[in-house]
Amino acid sequence: MRNRTKMLLLTAIALVGAACLMFREPEGISAAHAPELTDSGAQPAMVLFPVSDKPSRGVSGMKPVVFNHKLHEGKVQECESCHHTGDPVPCTTCHTVEGKAEGNFVTLERAMHASNIAPRKDGRTPQSCVSCHRKVYTERLECAGCHSIVKPTENDDWCAVCHADLPSLTREQWQAGIQGKLSPAENVAIASSTIASKKPHEYLEGSRTRYRVTLDTLKDKYEANVFNHARHIVSLQRKIANDPLANAFHSSSSILCQTCHHHEPATTQPSKCVSCHTPTIDRAHPERPSLKAAYHLQCMGCHDGMEVKRPRNTDCTGCHRLRTVQQEETK
Amino acid sequence: MNRRKFLTMLGSAGVVSALASTTAPKEAKASHIFPYYPESYGVLHDTTRCVGCRSCEQACNEVNSLPKPNKPFDDLSVCNTKRRTSATEWTVVNKYKMNGKDVFRKLQCFHCQDPACASACFAKCFQKQPDGSVTYDGTQCVGCRYCMIACPFYVPGFEYNEAWDPLVKKCTFCKPRLDKGQLPGCVEACPMDALTFGRRTDLIKAARKRITENPDKYLDYIYGEHDAGGTAWMVLAPANPKGPKVPPENPVLAGPEMKQLGLDTHLGNQPMGELTYGALGTVPMIVAFWPVLFGGAYAMTKRREAMHKEEQEKTVRQAREDVAKAVDAVVRTIQETEGEGAADRARKAMAEALKARGEAGKHGEGA
Repeated sequence: MRNRTKMLLLTAIALVGAACLMFREPEGISAAHAPELTDSGAQPAMVLFPVSDKPSRGVSGMKPVVFNHKLHEGKVQECESCHHTGDPVPCTTCHTVEGKAEGNFVTLERAMHASNIAPRKDGRTPQSCVSCHRKVYTERLECAGCHSIVKPTENDDWCAVCHADLPSLTREQWQAGIQGKLSPAENVAIASSTIASKKPHEYLEGSRTRYRVTLDTLKDKYEANVFNHARHIVSLQRKIANDPLANAFHSSSSILCQTCHHHEPATTQPSKCVSCHTPTIDRAHPERPSLKAAYHLQCMGCHDGMEVKRPRNTDCTGCHRLRTVQQEETK
Repeated sequence: MNRRKFLTMLGSAGVVSALASTTAPKEAKASHIFPYYPESYGVLHDTTRCVGCRSCEQACNEVNSLPKPNKPFDDLSVCNTKRRTSATEWTVVNKYKMNGKDVFRKLQCFHCQDPACASACFAKCFQKQPDGSVTYDGTQCVGCRYCMIACPFYVPGFEYNEAWDPLVKKCTFCKPRLDKGQLPGCVEACPMDALTFGRRTDLIKAARKRITENPDKYLDYIYGEHDAGGTAWMVLAPANPKGPKVPPENPVLAGPEMKQLGLDTHLGNQPMGELTYGALGTVPMIVAFWPVLFGGAYAMTKRREAMHKEEQEKTVRQAREDVAKAVDAVVRTIQETEGEGAADRARKAMAEALKARGEAGKHGEGA
């Protein structure tokens, strides 16, 4: 056995290597969780003011946004994802409320909210807050189920998720911020205190909803489907429990309910599907899916979005058993 | 101007008149634009909803009492082959790979606004009805199958197995059911509402609404709104989630996407029939007008020839008379001055000279 020594040596090296890898990883994770430092050396959080070139005496424009830089830094691949010029300067250096030549006259509002950004030839397509968030909720499987059916309603509540009231911000600080004169230390202090005061999001407890729902309005060729209501909700909630984006934007505790129980205010006693979706197509509303299609579009839409492999969309008996003739006769 | 030249001129005049008549109806057809029937119905096929269950095929087979297929309708493997509609399968669902994802599309007669089959049929078997359907009446059908060649979607099928009176068969838009106030069989059977029935104008609005509300889901192109001059059945296709966004309503840029779904966006927005209506419309005109034109030309030539001949004969006769008179006068003078013998010789010499000249000139007989 000439190679014995060599083999032992190699095994020893491999073991040492594996040990290094095993011990290094948790070290890295714990470092990322340290509250006061970021990998890039940027401030962990900051207040983004709508900086304007125009001289303004009072406070005007949109409410400033507290931006958790540290959290976002961990979610993107590289600094250039947001700092698209490659220069890590604040957004308002080039994109002010009015827009200026350095920023190609793209206003701050567009830079933060544009959702249909033309791809750049050099591949460095800039992203806005909204376009990046949209990408997340349409591409991540745990989000894509519901979000292949529902889009966030872009109303005042939606705006207020980011443009929230800042109780610790004084009028003078606000004005200084708009003029770009607020000291970085003050800025970070306000942002950090706001982030620290955030409460975790709470969903309606899934296990307390109806356990099973029997969908039997249409049974003729197939048996009724027994829909495991609570299990679906618990499963969805578990998937997004620790997701900061979902927690921030899922504004109400019953928001998950509203993917299926749509077009009505959130309630614990929602209407039945058949109240709007008639068994045959309603002549007055030909565009509204019939009851059968409504069930199928909703179930399959979500399953397709989450890439649920089984049951297949064409496997009818996977969800409702075939109804036999004997059963019909006994009825 | 000789006869040949004259006829050439007449002929070219005839061709010009024929060309003028082909272009004239086109201008007169300014009102010949779609939609002809603004209240007509259509169906919107949303391929993002279709799961390829073949319920529509089964319903079509049942409501139209078509023969049972070899493979049952719950065998979904047949969707993998690119099937075409036939005399016994008026609608088929095929599976297409679109940007790596499986998309199903239902094929059937598109019920064109201005159907090419109708424009090609000289027996006038096909007709666009005010309700939107393109119907076929086989009583006058001669089985030429021009409709099958004319159709840009390869839809009509022919009863090749029928020995006596084979007919063309295709989707009827369930016209008998529409007349009774029922939905077409396939629309009623669809478990996903991938088929939406309604007035064509409403469907276009509904399709636009779906595209506007879900810009990432749908390709911004309603196939059939303008293609082939507009069709009653229209198709919505899913957008490519990874690729760049296709600008709205652009048949050139939407083309590669639609092609993956087996749909051709290069049919143009002009009805297929409009390409042939002009030329085919002149056939009766040519049949009716050209005999009169050329008959008249022939008669005119004949008459001119007759007149010419008459004039010529008159001239010849006159010339002959003149010559005869001159000869008489000369002979009489010779008779008076030099006697009978000299007159006889002179007459003979002149007659011979005239005869010789007449033979040389081909038109002289003996005086």
